Amino acid sequence: MPTRAWEWTVRAEPGCKVTVTNPTDAELVAAVLAGHRDAFDGIVERHRRHVYQLCYRFVGNHEDASDLAQDVFIRAFKSLRTYKGDAALGTWLYRIAVNVSLNKVSAKSVRPEPLDALLRTHDLRAASGAESASEAVLRHERAGQVRAAIARLPKKQRATLILRMYHELPHEQIAGILGSSVGAVKANFFHALNNLKKLLS
Amino acid sequence: MKHLSSPELVEFIEGTLDARRAAHVGACDICRAAATDLQDVMRRASSVDNQVPEPSPLFWDHLSARVREAVADERTGGASWWLTSWRPFAPAAAALVVVVLVSATVVMRRPAPPVSVGEARETAHVEPGMDIDATIDPANREVWEVLTAAAADLELEDAHAAGLSVQSSAIDRAVQGLSADELNELGRLLQSELKRSSN
Repeated sequence: MPTRAWEWTVRAEPGCKVTVTNPTDAELVAAVLAGHRDAFDGIVERHRRHVYQLCYRFVGNHEDASDLAQDVFIRAFKSLRTYKGDAALGTWLYRIAVNVSLNKVSAKSVRPEPLDALLRTHDLRAASGAESASEAVLRHERAGQVRAAIARLPKKQRATLILRMYHELPHEQIAGILGSSVGAVKANFFHALNNLKKLLS
Repeated sequence: MKHLSSPELVEFIEGTLDARRAAHVGACDICRAAATDLQDVMRRASSVDNQVPEPSPLFWDHLSARVREAVADERTGGASWWLTSWRPFAPAAAALVVVVLVSATVVMRRPAPPVSVGEARETAHVEPGMDIDATIDPANREVWEVLTAAAADLELEDAHAAGLSVQSSAIDRAVQGLSADELNELGRLLQSELKRSSN
């Protein structure tokens, strides 16, 4: 990520400007809480890709994932004062993203990306000779079956499976996101895989 | 040896289970079958296209802009922001309430123009022993309730912070303006207050 500098005026010393180059998450949070709203741009810029990708895993399409990602950051902004810094900011944002996504998905069934949108992605692969159009359609169908099965898992199992398998997060971080123990995360992962097997058979 | 627990089976397929427990899988058909099943479903789930399609390069800035617009009217800190945001204005609010109360008192204490006995009989509606609260014009009742509530909540520190202080000459003038009955009542109130504070 390119280095970026944020500049703000120190409230206690009017006229004194502080320029922070590539600030840490903690510095950005402190700046936002001190009233420097533009520092929140830095937080969004730094975490938007991971948040969007996590939301996408839950809903399976760009439009809903985009709305969810926006919702996650708005909620984060509103409740930033409750962030105590005991977990990494990314973990805290993931926690919000999981909650927002699970609420959304429970209210609305997963709406996978239309085939033509995926085939546009496929065009790039085909151009490089990676796979044929029929292979792409087959892959899309299989992916749809797996996504539909994942969407039918209980909430915590679904979140655990997505965070572990597709985001490759360590069990310890997943435990922090879901607010459970590492042992419980592993047990949830086990049950998620077992249930997925039943749903796919 | 005891069968692997579900967390241990996960550790086994991820290759993090300790060697002694992992050796059990080689000797136990049940655990081996369970581990194989897990590996199969993991392979199947991971074989799907797990890459999130990369959105347009313009999307990221668009997302940031949408968030920026959405938070423009928001405040940080959840439900408690308003509790703290009014504090800087507390002295000014206290001063306003005091000014309103003092003005109201001055207006009420202003000597009434002389009226004839006949006119007084026609206009006076307050009977001895009548609840004074009942005499307040209903149109002004809401304002009166706001003022009394604000005065009840007014802290002395807030009044001082607002630069308001009571001058002794003002108290003298107020006492001199009291009738004999009012002086008696004031004396009674002071005595009961002194008794209460000495207990």
